[in-house]
Amino acid sequence: MSVAQAEATEVALEAPSGLWRDAWYRLIRNPGAIVGLLFVLVFVVAAIFAPLLATHDPVEQNLLLIANGCCPGPSAEHYFGVDLLGRDLFTRILYGARYSLLIGIVSVAIGLSIGLVLGAIAGYVGGFVDSAIMRVMDVMLAIPGLLLAIGIVAALGPGLRNVMIAVGLANVPIFARLLRGSVLAQREADFVLAARSVGIKRPQILFSHIIPNSISPVIVQGTLAMATAIIDVAGLGFLGIGLEDPDETPEWGSMLTEVNEYLQVAPFLALIPGTAIVISVLGFNLIGDGLREALDPKLRGR
Amino acid sequence: MAGGQQTTSLRTYALTRLGLALPMVLILLTMVFLLLRVAPGDPITAALGGRLPPEQLEERREAAGYNRSLAVQYLEYLGNVATLDFGETIVDNRPVTRVITQNGAATLELTVVALFVALLVGIGVGLVSGRYRDTPVDVAGRLFGILIYAAPVFFLGFLAQLVFAQWLGWFPTSGRASPVTSYDLDTPTNLFLVDSLIALDFSAFSDVLSHLVLPAVTLGLVTGGVFIRLIRVNVLQTLQGDYIEAARARGLSERTVMWHHAFRNALVPVITVVGLQVALLLGGAVLTEQTFNWPGIGSELIRYLNNRDYIAIQGIITFFALVVVIVSLLIDLLNAWVDPRVRY
Repeated sequence: MSVAQAEATEVALEAPSGLWRDAWYRLIRNPGAIVGLLFVLVFVVAAIFAPLLATHDPVEQNLLLIANGCCPGPSAEHYFGVDLLGRDLFTRILYGARYSLLIGIVSVAIGLSIGLVLGAIAGYVGGFVDSAIMRVMDVMLAIPGLLLAIGIVAALGPGLRNVMIAVGLANVPIFARLLRGSVLAQREADFVLAARSVGIKRPQILFSHIIPNSISPVIVQGTLAMATAIIDVAGLGFLGIGLEDPDETPEWGSMLTEVNEYLQVAPFLALIPGTAIVISVLGFNLIGDGLREALDPKLRGR
Repeated sequence: MAGGQQTTSLRTYALTRLGLALPMVLILLTMVFLLLRVAPGDPITAALGGRLPPEQLEERREAAGYNRSLAVQYLEYLGNVATLDFGETIVDNRPVTRVITQNGAATLELTVVALFVALLVGIGVGLVSGRYRDTPVDVAGRLFGILIYAAPVFFLGFLAQLVFAQWLGWFPTSGRASPVTSYDLDTPTNLFLVDSLIALDFSAFSDVLSHLVLPAVTLGLVTGGVFIRLIRVNVLQTLQGDYIEAARARGLSERTVMWHHAFRNALVPVITVVGLQVALLLGGAVLTEQTFNWPGIGSELIRYLNNRDYIAIQGIITFFALVVVIVSLLIDLLNAWVDPRVRY
């Protein structure tokens, strides 16, 4: 068999099943991942179309509604009832999805980009640079994620932008470790040696060979990091230290801050925002797990 | 002979590991110092600015040494931490070490019991799930693990309060002890469970315990979710091992195979994960304490945060991170002792 023939059969073998196509088929056959996709779909639709779906104004107070005690529960007028200041909870949940999604995406993007650059440099340059970067990452991992975010918000001051930076920075070490491991594993791989032997420069090998081959664990981790980011943001909101005006901003975590005194009379005030958090976090976790299984080359072809 | 060799290499490993921990602590302290100094102004201005006349503010800044160069302040900070002096809070002039000794016991009690709950639930559910793979028990166990992992601690805490305190009335909603108990009980160790046992005051003990149940179980369940998953996978992997088949072939009862061969090996990595979970546990403790009005370090941290007291925040975060570093050091040593492969 000539080389050309061998190549042809190889191409024929690979063509009908690309990694991504395979992964997609495996993903949509995984019941957990389907539930996850549904949850995330609900979450994203709520976030994007909040102004269209909302029945009221998210910050408009209506103290008359709570004149007879707290708080009227779900009704035809207020699907999820009203909160301690007579605001429509359904509307606030929808707008809350916007905050969570926005903070989630931006903070994961921050953590991912900084983490990937640091991890790639550490793995590829090696030596002193490697140990210096990774020791700092180890230390960041030693500080509990929420505490690190609290510290950063404390230093930068509250506000949407600073929360994103805080949650994002807390994510950096995870991505840095991931990419460093991946780079180290591939640095001596045959295709890298081949690229090097034909004289391709190191940065180009890194960007056009090594990073693309590390992309699938990064995507899995990115999905899982979205879940963590949503939980961390809710935690900061609950503690009342994230946003400048926690009373006004419809943020899920902060909706749970003052309700424990009203648990007996209005349990829905805790149950509804809490369920919203659980559904969105669960959605990203399930997709992440499903992707991990779908993309794991060890499971391919089984 | 082999024994002698083993102890030497364990000691070498311990020294190397300790040598690695020291630069880590230095980086940690530098990071915390830089982090809380990038804030505009200095801690005194941040906490008291606008509340004191400018001259008085200036006086206090000078007294605290904030008019000196950052390098001097940095070296002083390092020196202080080395002598276990984490500074004095600005808003109520309390040494941070006292915050730790006074409120630390509450946090310690909460986290230790929570870790115990986490291990109990995690190991129990994990082993059963792995042993009875793909049966309804396994599906239920996995579902429980996934759900618990997605629930924020404070939401789970509210659910627990709602069901077990408000509806069923089994446990108190919040706090560490009822007023009578906290008034009567002598607290030499500040660990209320221990104190009530020392005093042989069993009504106080049961009161303290009933206050501890909901927060500890809440924090423990959230932490335990990770263990369920880990142990299940480990059981599945060990069950595929050749030695399991060999044990079965030798005619050992299924029970012996499970307990002495499979489960035992599946539990070794748990030690490592306990170390990793300590950070999660401490972060979760901050939220749990806030949810249950638990007077621990986490509650104090949030109180100082709302007062913008950077000295207190810096001290408490440094302390938490040091705990994580020390625990992970101990875990690594324990691991090296249990599993010789780790030392290489």
